[in-house]
Amino acid sequence: MNLTQPPHAPVRPAPAKVKIESLGVYLPDKVMTMEELLSSCRRRPRWDLERITGIRERRVAEGEYAADLAVQAARRALAMSRYRAEELDVLVCTSISKHNAPDLFAFEPSTAVLVRKALGAKKALVFDVVNACAGMINGIYVVQGLIRAGLARCGMVVSGEQNMPLAATAARQMRHDFDGQIAALTLGDCGAALVLDRSEDERIGFHLLDLVTGAKHDHYCFSKPSPRGPGGMLVTKASGLQRKGNEHFPFYFKHALDQTGWSLDDLDHIIPHQVSVRAMQNSFKAVKRFLGTDAPDIVRCCADKYANTTTTSHFLALHDLALHGELQPGHNLLLVSGASGIVVSHATLTLDDLPERYRAHLAGGA
Amino acid sequence: MPRCRIESLGVSLPPGPLFRRGSIAHAVRAGRACLESSHYNREDVRVLVNAGIHRDGHVCEPAMAAYIQRRLDINVEFQGRRTLAFDLQNGGCGMLNAAQVLSALLLSGEAQVGMAVASEANGDRRPAPAYSYPPSGAAALIDLSPRESIGFGTFAFHTHDEFSELYTSVVSLKVARGRIELRRGAELEEVYLSKARAVVDEVLEKDGLRREEVALVVPAQISKGFLAKLPEAIGFPKERVADYSDTLADTLSTSTFLALHEAMKGTECAPGKTVLLLAFGSGVTIGAASYRW
Repeated sequence: MNLTQPPHAPVRPAPAKVKIESLGVYLPDKVMTMEELLSSCRRRPRWDLERITGIRERRVAEGEYAADLAVQAARRALAMSRYRAEELDVLVCTSISKHNAPDLFAFEPSTAVLVRKALGAKKALVFDVVNACAGMINGIYVVQGLIRAGLARCGMVVSGEQNMPLAATAARQMRHDFDGQIAALTLGDCGAALVLDRSEDERIGFHLLDLVTGAKHDHYCFSKPSPRGPGGMLVTKASGLQRKGNEHFPFYFKHALDQTGWSLDDLDHIIPHQVSVRAMQNSFKAVKRFLGTDAPDIVRCCADKYANTTTTSHFLALHDLALHGELQPGHNLLLVSGASGIVVSHATLTLDDLPERYRAHLAGGA
Repeated sequence: MPRCRIESLGVSLPPGPLFRRGSIAHAVRAGRACLESSHYNREDVRVLVNAGIHRDGHVCEPAMAAYIQRRLDINVEFQGRRTLAFDLQNGGCGMLNAAQVLSALLLSGEAQVGMAVASEANGDRRPAPAYSYPPSGAAALIDLSPRESIGFGTFAFHTHDEFSELYTSVVSLKVARGRIELRRGAELEEVYLSKARAVVDEVLEKDGLRREEVALVVPAQISKGFLAKLPEAIGFPKERVADYSDTLADTLSTSTFLALHEAMKGTECAPGKTVLLLAFGSGVTIGAASYRW
């Protein structure tokens, strides 16, 4: 008997960690303020949405569509990556807004095929993963599974969100101050892409990806073609969604920390889904009540500048932190997402030298 | 190398013209049939992947998988046993992709049981003439195989994005409630036929299989004419390529698994025998996987 081995050693070895090898974010140039968006409403809501949400402005794609935003972000991620497009084994696109042409919502071919074609990722397995605002974290979960199962060496998760057509429908169709489409006025456009591969260092990479769908609450938020006229619409019962999320989210927040073996003191940044400044504040009040202690001042928010960019929002926040020098190698992050479904997702990860490489890459004129 | 297997398969076949069900109803019907013939309880399903394309109300958020999860009553609350539900979209190949993704999640220890489900329905008041898919549903419970010789072998997907314009389906937002617009190039079937052999060869080579060791090829039932030409295109005798086109129309994402359900009534899906699943979809993507019973 080999006494160096415990008598009941686990048969399955600990799964390998997957890390963010490269990051790319694409923001359209055009800025639209909340005031400009509200002025475009056929029936302007009485609420001071800028004060209520904390969103001052957002970026708006002009002459570009959702797939274009995804392609731009993917090109930026590849420009910094040690992998070339043709080396990608898998490419997963997680966009919700598949507005790839005016007044169209595309189902086929998958947006991942269009990104693959634009990049020349000739051997990549491609498909779309769609899970509302949890899409990119869900995409990472899928690519992590493929890498761990030995089916891929590296992969890309990409999303291009052209959400402003939904805001335009809301501006045309809102009938009153309590109209369900009002939350569409908090949206913005953005593209984001990640290259993922196996981490050589056990301390680096995703420690936990925890996603759960509480499908009993699937009615709080939905998006589909509007029955009131042309255009797609987003309908949100914002207060109900927030209330239900706050009931369950603090438990999973602590669960993520416990499963990773971290306490609040180990965290350098908490990056929530950038719904609105107010919503994030309310969520962390709920966490404070659950934990019985103040969370350190590490909740990062960029919704004031970029609004809610749905699936891309965590990685836009990562870009913003890196750009401002607040993200450093070795930092511990907790990504938190609440999405319609209701999907609650948490990811804990430790960064390698990505922030330094990212800053150097941006300084190089990329 | 451990494998994953189909523990149970359920379908919701196209109904007659007078009886219409939506996409969620078809998915739920197939899911229930799948759970009823399974040794697992619905609470055991840790991951639910929906690969359907055309859906009720053309909903794009939340994932249709969440609606299906709720109606199948699979761990719908946050407490206790939990389920992740998400959509995977890749046209006609989506359900085979879902089976591959579930296999990867099972093999990497993320879950023990997963369900791949797909359904198609067009609820438009005046459906576009080009839309030809009868409504249907299919669901497969997938778990780790108890023996390494049973279950899915290699999955292979070849995407030929130079033909991405050959098949497009979009929802036009110019009209209230939206309307599906589907465009299928005349040469689509020829492209499928010309590219199918390479993906079949890849699966056979990786799994060390000779053509005579494959008891049956189970393709998506694209059309009668297509299925007549397919055996020669992939190098199999006609009698070993399943053709159910007299009773099964092409049903897009569910087609390969509806054909597999039909094939399971025959002698080719017996223990020790190997079948080859073939799917065709937009992209253009052709997917194949071997499966040993």
